[in-house]
Amino acid sequence: MVAIIEKRQLRDFDWLTAVVAMAIVCFGVWQIYNAQPTQSYWTKQIVGLVIAIIVLAVVASTDYRRLIDAAPVFYALGLLLLVLVLIPGLGVKVNGQRAWLAVPFIGRFQPSEFVKIPVVLMLAKYFGNRRLGNLRIKEIFFGAAILAAPVFLILLEPDSGQVITYFPLLAVVLYLSAVRMRYVAIAIGLMAILVPAAYFVGIQTGTIKGYQRERIEVILDPENADPRGYGYHTFQSMITVGKGRLTGIEGDGGMSQSVLKFLPEPHTDFIFAVTAENTGFVGCISLLLAYGLLLSRLVVGAREAPDRIGMLVIMAIVGAITFQIFMNVGMVLGFLPVIGVPLPLMSSGLSSILSTFIAIGFVISVKMRRFVN
Amino acid sequence: MKLHDYSQNLAARVSSIQIIGFVLLAILGVRLYHLQINKGEYYRDRAENQRIRTIRIPAPRGAILDRNGILLVDSRSTYNVTLNHEPIKNIDVSDRIDEYARGLGVDREYLDERFELVKNRPEYETMVLKENATLEDITWVETHSLEYPELRIQLQPQRFYPLGESLAHVLGYVGEISPKQLEKPEYQEKGFRPGDIIGKGGLEQYYDEYLRGVPGYRKVIVDSRGRVQSQIESVPPQAGQDLVTTIDLRIQRAAEQQLAKSATKRGSIIALDPRNGEVYAMVSAPSFDPNVFVQGSATPEGRKQIAAYWQNEERPLFNRAIQGRYPPGSTWKIPESVAALRQGVVTVTNSNLACGGGIRIGNKFTRCMGSHGTPPLKYAITKSCDGYYYRLGLKMGIDGMIKMVETFEYDKRTGVDLPNEKISRTPKYYRKAIEKRYNGRWVDIETVFASIGQVTVDVTPISMLRAVSSVGVGGKLQTPHFLKEFKEIGAVGDRATSNYVEGRKGFGYTAPKLTTVTMTPEQNKLVLDGMYDVVNGGGTATSVSLGPEFPIAGKTGTAQVTELGKDTGRLKDHAWFVGFAPAYAPELAVIAIIENAGFGGSHAGPAVKGVFQAFRDPSSVDMGGEATEESDSPNDENTRAQPDAAATAGRVQRLSGLIRRKAD
Repeated sequence: MVAIIEKRQLRDFDWLTAVVAMAIVCFGVWQIYNAQPTQSYWTKQIVGLVIAIIVLAVVASTDYRRLIDAAPVFYALGLLLLVLVLIPGLGVKVNGQRAWLAVPFIGRFQPSEFVKIPVVLMLAKYFGNRRLGNLRIKEIFFGAAILAAPVFLILLEPDSGQVITYFPLLAVVLYLSAVRMRYVAIAIGLMAILVPAAYFVGIQTGTIKGYQRERIEVILDPENADPRGYGYHTFQSMITVGKGRLTGIEGDGGMSQSVLKFLPEPHTDFIFAVTAENTGFVGCISLLLAYGLLLSRLVVGAREAPDRIGMLVIMAIVGAITFQIFMNVGMVLGFLPVIGVPLPLMSSGLSSILSTFIAIGFVISVKMRRFVN
Repeated sequence: MKLHDYSQNLAARVSSIQIIGFVLLAILGVRLYHLQINKGEYYRDRAENQRIRTIRIPAPRGAILDRNGILLVDSRSTYNVTLNHEPIKNIDVSDRIDEYARGLGVDREYLDERFELVKNRPEYETMVLKENATLEDITWVETHSLEYPELRIQLQPQRFYPLGESLAHVLGYVGEISPKQLEKPEYQEKGFRPGDIIGKGGLEQYYDEYLRGVPGYRKVIVDSRGRVQSQIESVPPQAGQDLVTTIDLRIQRAAEQQLAKSATKRGSIIALDPRNGEVYAMVSAPSFDPNVFVQGSATPEGRKQIAAYWQNEERPLFNRAIQGRYPPGSTWKIPESVAALRQGVVTVTNSNLACGGGIRIGNKFTRCMGSHGTPPLKYAITKSCDGYYYRLGLKMGIDGMIKMVETFEYDKRTGVDLPNEKISRTPKYYRKAIEKRYNGRWVDIETVFASIGQVTVDVTPISMLRAVSSVGVGGKLQTPHFLKEFKEIGAVGDRATSNYVEGRKGFGYTAPKLTTVTMTPEQNKLVLDGMYDVVNGGGTATSVSLGPEFPIAGKTGTAQVTELGKDTGRLKDHAWFVGFAPAYAPELAVIAIIENAGFGGSHAGPAVKGVFQAFRDPSSVDMGGEATEESDSPNDENTRAQPDAAATAGRVQRLSGLIRRKAD
């Protein structure tokens, strides 16, 4: 029996998805090295990749339905971690955000990265088993409630960038759970009106802080950003990207934008700028195509998912990863405000790579069981 | 379970999510294309601009030396790191103080004090944070110009004048180029930038081009905080050329001491070699300390002192030797005598004219100081007989007088190598004004006055000395000058690169075409004999004599300011003496004018005598300097190295090097 499963697992294991993901991480390791050649971030990332591959294998070989069954437990554990991280003795404060937990031997990890997974499971569990037909308002509110708890806790850290990455999860799940198209239209319409309105009111009332406003306004006029202000990051990022031109800088890596510290956070949030500087348009487009391939593979998996739950899990993950890529690269390319969203699989950080690999492991697990009924 | 099992267009909804994902990725791709392909060059340039900085290395200015190699102006330049108040007036910079302390290697507490001080000062003022900044300090400040615009590098005591007030008018001083100058095309052509140091006044200005060096630069790559990461290229500055002047500091000192001893301590003394025009000494008193201007208006004391100089009624900033116009009195009689002989108004054999104790023009009688019968020219010079010259002047007429002015070039600048020389004013200049006053006619009384160097005659000491000394050398009108030699300076940089700065050749003085006042040897001798007798033959200046081994020939002058011969206090007569020695083979010509002192023979004569004495025995001159400097040091032992104390220390050090300049 075990042998049969093993054999079938090996046959059905989605090698292409796993290899593309790992290839992106390896490419990322090279860019992390380019960003900080004198630091150990790139070696840590290799260690992270090894751990992530093991975790991916474990998750993939586990029946996702059992994980779905345990979703409330994971969800509760996740919330517990988000509470723990807020306790000053346990949570580690970096750059004003108490978002990390110190773990012996491993280092720091960021619960808000991981809690996305139990949230996905919870949403899939709730919406996957419902009857057919249009979504009712009550159900929408229940889904929102699942999201609200971790979002509230993460806002206390405060990590607004991370919070933003949670919304696509709910959006995708609701959309695929047959929310009426008119609600979708209304939501889009409301956003188009409310977001600028909220921004305006926020400025008037002072709820939007000066630095936040500056980060948004710099998008409109990056050239005149205060070199000592926050807008500087956006402009430096654009310089770094543009400087790469078609094929990237050659033989000048020792004096790159990141090495000279013009580019902030080059190995995490601005890793795409480093990529652009070092590999140029060719490298960047290749990376975007790799992301496109990976996401396509995931969507194919969703289409072939044996049940609605599996489909929802995969598509929520697709939504989250797509959204994060867009937010991060949009920020690097200077048309979205600077918010601390890491680039999936590229940015240095164990939590980020691990959570993405868990998600991909989950997708592979779903795909592997597509013929099992 | 397949998607088509579902109702609600689930397959379409999944596809729409996929499409949205691809659209988002496509947007990123388009944006990338715009940034990297469309605007790639632009951003590359921006990146280059922010990481590459060019740091100017100022070039040391050439030194100025006297003819014996004594240092007159220090070529060493030191640099200060200064704190400007203006950029930080509204900012709290307390968190930067640590950065400064680290970057400049200065005590934190000291910086705290300085910041406190600058807060209470006007915005335009600067405060020295570090003196004698090293190249590293300069680099640090220049590379942090974006973050810390309040820090500047200042060339300080941009130039040091160890002699203080001595020679101030000749040397001039240096200062930052003014905004007005920067607008002028002649300065723009040479690539001047704000903050450049240029010569202002004196030799510093006249020979600025040669004294100034060529600044070097370092091109470095800096990180975002301005820390130098690597150097792309470095071009050392080329120093300016050293100027060896014709000045003999010993004679200069002697001349200064003579003026300092004089009755009014106001006036001018010039000494030059009549054979070639080399100026040995030029004094204008009172004088000023150029160091005050160099330190400029950065300190309240400096501003006060500069204002005081400008407001001083005795006009210390004015170089009397080349800018002062004085009635020459009887010194005028020397060129006049030569001119009369040349014009044939009198001859060597027949030069007698009546003295008459004076002359009557209309109903006005103009006196002579004595009664000299009907003297020949030689005797008239010796006794300075006014009556003789009234008649000589009338015989020459105003046209003859103007011809004389042209012969001796009183209507031109002497061409001395100093800026802002004034042209003497003579009857040629005043003629129109006088003729206008007298209904279009020149009147004899003005000729009479002009014949003794009064009313329509105002000459600069330098032009008078030039004219009179020509008589000693057969009529050669030499051009007075200070340039003896510019030393050569080596090339800088690698010849193969574009940064190569060619060496500059040394050169000496090139005299303009010589003009000669032609006269026969007999005519020349006649005037010389008269001048000889002024000192040695019972003339108006017998007390000036230095004995037969070093006979002085000269002429006194006592120029009326209000009323001749009367003690009218501040407006007493100007005392003149001009002469050369040895009388018939002159090596040195000297002129002295002491303002409002009285008789030339008794005030200017002794001053000239003192200069000749110094020329004969230079070792006798008290050079001053070192001894006077020691007095102000003991009290400073315990105080911090404040700028004043440091400057004093530097001054003592420099003065000790003053006797013989060390090889650089």
